[in-house]
This record gives sequence, structure tokens and C-alpha cells, in this order.
Amino acid sequence: MKWSSFWVLLAWASVAEAQALRIAPGTWDAQGTPCPVLRVLELEAPFGPNAVVDVPENSAAAASLLNEDSVAHALVVDDVDWTSASVGPGETLDFQWPALASGTYRYHLEGLRGERLGASGILRVGYAAEGAFRWHLSDLQSNTLDSIAGGGVPDPALYTPDFFTINEAHYPNTLEDPTALVAVNVGDTALISVVNAGQMDHVLHFHGFHVTLLQSSRSPERAGWSKDSVPVRRGEGLTLQLIAHQAGTYPVHDHNLIAVTNAGFYPGGMLTQIIVSP
Amino acid sequence: MRTLLLTALLGLSLASVAQSNTPPLLFSGMDGLHVLDDGTELPFWGYGYVAEGTLTLPGPLLAYTAGGDYTLSFVNESPEGHTIHLHGLDVDQNNDGVPSTSFTVMANGQASYAFSADYPGTYLYHCHVTTTLHLTMGMYGMLLVTREDGTLWEGGPEYDRDVPLLFSDLDISTNWAPTEAYPFHTIQPDYFMVNGLSGASLTASPEVAAAVAGERVALRLGSMAFAKVTCSFPDAWNAEVVMTDGRPLPTSFSPDALELYPGERYTVLIDAPADNDTHMEVVFSSMVNPDDTSMQSIWLNTGLVDVEEPAAAMPLTCYPNPATDRVYAQFPEQAWQVCDAVGRECATGRLREAVWNLDVSGWPRGMYILRLASGATSRFAVR
Repeated sequence: MKWSSFWVLLAWASVAEAQALRIAPGTWDAQGTPCPVLRVLELEAPFGPNAVVDVPENSAAAASLLNEDSVAHALVVDDVDWTSASVGPGETLDFQWPALASGTYRYHLEGLRGERLGASGILRVGYAAEGAFRWHLSDLQSNTLDSIAGGGVPDPALYTPDFFTINEAHYPNTLEDPTALVAVNVGDTALISVVNAGQMDHVLHFHGFHVTLLQSSRSPERAGWSKDSVPVRRGEGLTLQLIAHQAGTYPVHDHNLIAVTNAGFYPGGMLTQIIVSP
Repeated sequence: MRTLLLTALLGLSLASVAQSNTPPLLFSGMDGLHVLDDGTELPFWGYGYVAEGTLTLPGPLLAYTAGGDYTLSFVNESPEGHTIHLHGLDVDQNNDGVPSTSFTVMANGQASYAFSADYPGTYLYHCHVTTTLHLTMGMYGMLLVTREDGTLWEGGPEYDRDVPLLFSDLDISTNWAPTEAYPFHTIQPDYFMVNGLSGASLTASPEVAAAVAGERVALRLGSMAFAKVTCSFPDAWNAEVVMTDGRPLPTSFSPDALELYPGERYTVLIDAPADNDTHMEVVFSSMVNPDDTSMQSIWLNTGLVDVEEPAAAMPLTCYPNPATDRVYAQFPEQAWQVCDAVGRECATGRLREAVWNLDVSGWPRGMYILRLASGATSRFAVR
């Protein structure tokens, strides 16, 4: 699908219906080692990557949240002064998302348990569209997750992440995700929603292309910047526009180069591709 | 007139472009030794000029004129595969320098990368083989694309001088024992550099940032560090951030401090003050643990008096030597003359290309001398 511009897209942005969500405990496979994690999923969806929530712009969209975890949680949206009411174990919370200007934001469960166990997702405001790409970036230290799940509080100064993910997958599995692998045709314009759900900043380097920052939840003054190396600070949401001017296969990866590894081995981690067909 | 600051003695020296079918401009190697601030000679991998035969950390500064189509060639004089990724130049897949999607240059191999310098600005180049390791080992450099009319971009502000500042870091233990570097996610840089210098060596250097008082200076900031770099500018510089990643900003801004993440570049215009005692602070902070920091200081030397003289600091070397078909050299634009062994003029002209080259096929065998208007000379043989 082609879009002449982000702003044209906004004009016909769909209005999402109220979304029913659930907080779901489960496990994530750290190359053969199951690690306890938390996810925010659509109510009926099987366990998997966190839900992408689409809401219209400048509208307090209704939603609900069932808590299947063993402790109470609340939702927050980074860079926005908003926190939901708390929802206890087994309870369902009816709430409204904050009314926001169009763009990409990061939502997550408040507190260390939700943060470090990975209950976090992309909140897309005003531009839900089939074919839009999305990168939910994260990092984790796999050998601390059992302790955190059991109520432990790790020393942040000792944080040593060993997995770096896009949409809860690491390279080469990222190439199997059609929302993480940007496959387009020459001349297409692609929109990419990016949030940083990790414990550290990341910076995405695009081979073959500059992208235009259409929006930042953290630094609105950066709208319009054209860059090939794009910082995505912890908790930040960005909307990027890529014009596919040349054919070929091009990597996109974190240029903090410890993050293109899996358990320390290269290549891996926060790495995907742009594949442009002639 | 805009002048590029030459810092050849510091490992950043001016190169110009290689043309298609020219001999390789750069070579890669894995046997470099870099002198740290405490005098330790630390092994590194890197790039150097073929004509000089020495690896430098960082690699040579490559400078090109905007609007041209160029080819950068290098020969791999090391036992392992390497590439050159032209970071930010948006080259096509085959020229991208990524082993899995482009190609690897194996030991003793040679390769050329074609690119168009469509957008003036600040870029980087680096090896993309096992990138995490090869970058921390030192395989990177800066690349500038500048305009001949002294503006930063078409219709952009005029300025007088480029001052390239490349931030990088390394994990000393990794450089001592790269085969023991796994797992890579625990690499923690503990030595932080600006143009390869650190600590007292950086503070004491009069060449890293030098200008004439009153000049409008373009700081060409680029980061190949693993750490985040935060530059704090003194008020006297009137720092204005005007470009990033080879593109003009829609709106410039004047911050007290500017963050550079790994791989980013910014162009910052400053006014070189009359006083010779101002400096910027550069804080390297760990991307994993931001409280883990190291600070470097860059003092602005405004004591330069002759902006045309730096050419004398650059060694003039003709290559290949001996030559059979064509001989090459790199030097700033100026008049040149070639004479034979008895002083007869054989050719003369004024350099207009990025690389001086002269067809000597059919010339009588013997020694010749290239003489520049600056007074620099270099001898070469024709066979």
C-alpha cells in the first residue's frame, strides 16, 4: 500500500473500537531457557507479543483490562501525565486511554515487575492502518527474570542485558515477523511505529535510507528531522517515514553494538531488514 | 575561504577521492599499535593510507566534494575478512559493506565501493564484519562531504573552517585479547577518545580543534563510540546546531549541551573567540549504566594565523612508485610541476580533481620530481 504522506493518512485514520486487554503471565524462550515474563494481550489472543493498541486522536478511547497476574497493576503511558486506576488479581478494569495527539507512544504496566518482565506495548494514536510497520524495542537480562518474578529487586547498577529484541523477538527471528521486517516496493512510503520498552536507550541505524521523524513523544521539536541514525530513548515513541527510493536488502540495527548479539554472540538481537522489491 | 583543518600527525589526515580503477587509497590491517595517554602501546585493528603504510586510530579522514560520483578502494592486508560500510551515505546494497547482503573482502583481497556524494555533511565509515568486535578494535573513520562555495549546503550558511571531531572508545582488555572478547554484550569501553586522543594528550593538543579568532567554524561531530557522548559548549562559542546525519535541520537550535548516540553526527557552527582559553566538555556515559561516565576536554586553539599553511603538514607521496601507466598523489588544490632528473619541465598544471593523477605511459624511464606551489616535493620513478 502506498501513502503519499503521513498527513493524508491521518485524514482517513480509522477509529478503533474499545479494546479489551488482559495482563497475562507466561514464558519467553531465551535460546532454550524459558524465562518468566508478563504481557499485555488482546483479551482473546493467545500468549505472544504485546498488543498494539490503536486509538483515534484527541479522543479518550474506552478499553478494559483483565488482570491474570498474581499482583495488582496499573497502566501508564510514557511522556504523558496519565496513570490508570489499579486493577487487582482476577479483576477487570474499565478505563479510558488518555486523549492524545496523533503519533506513537509507549504504554506499560507501572512498577518494576511490569517493566522488567516486559508488559509493554505500542499505543498508536490516529493512524491505525493495515501494512504499517512497528518495532517494540526492548532489552532484558535473562538470568534475573526468575528473581524479579518472585518479587526480587535487582540492583540497576548491575544490569547486564544479554538479549535485545524487536517485537519480543531477536534476530534472525525478527525476519519472520511481517511487522518488523519492512518489505515494500520501490516508490512506496512506509510508516514505522517505534517505542523503546527497554531499560536503556537505543539508536537505530538505517542502511540505504534516511528516514523522516514525523513525531516524537519525547521531543516534538524533532519532527521533520531526516536521519539515518535515530535515537530512541527509554520510554520514547517515534513515528518514522521511510521512502523506498532504491531496491535491495538493507539492515536496520541498534548501533549500540552490544545490542546486535544474542547472549553475547554476533549477529543477533536488535536487527531487522528493509527489503525493497524493484 | 573555508579550510579543512589538517591533523595528519594525530591520525586524522586529509584524503581526497579515489577514482575508478585507481590503486586502493586505504588498506586494512590488524597489527596497529596505538599509544594511549599513559604511554602504553595498545594493539588495534584499523585502516591507513596505502601511500603511507601506517594504520591510524581512527582511520584517515576522507574528504569529498559534494555532487560527485566516487569510488573508494581498499586492500585488505590482514589475515581476516573486512569491509568498508559507508555509514550514512545511503549506498545501494552491493556497495553497503555488509557481509551477508554485500560481500566480504578476504585476506589480501581488494574492493571498491561506489557512492554518490549527493548530500554535503558529516559521515562515517567502518568495517561491518563482526561489527561489535571490529569497531571496538578500531576499524572506523570519519568522512566529510563539503561544498566548494564555502556553504554548508545549497542555500545554507557560509563558514570558514571544518573542525572534524570523531568520538570513539575501546575496551582495553578486548584490544589486548580480541579472541577472548566473547560474549560481546559484556564489552565495556574504558578508554575514551576524540580523534584518537584522550586525557592529557587531548587537552594538550593544539591541533585537534584549531581556528583563527573570529572565524565561523563548523564542528563536525561524529560518534563511533559505544557510549553516549554529551558535548557541553561554552557560551563564548555561540554554538548553533544546524545539521544532523548529513541533512540540514528544519530549524537550528542553540543548546548548552548536545547528545550524540552511537553512529550519529551533528554539525555545530561556532564563533571562534579571540580568547585562546575556551573549551568544550565531552562526557562519555555508558548506554547500559548512564551513571558510569568519563569526561574529556577539547580546548579551542584560536592561535592559528595562516589558514593556508596546513598543507605543508601533510606528507606528499607519489604512488605507485615506480609507476608504469599513471602516477597519483593527494594534496590540496594548488599549482604543480613535474620535472625530470635534470630539471626539465615535463608537465605542469593546477590540481582540480580530488586526486592528482598523471599519465606517464610512454615516458622515458628514470626519476622524476613532483613539485607543488607550497614547496612540497615528491620523487617517483617511471619504468
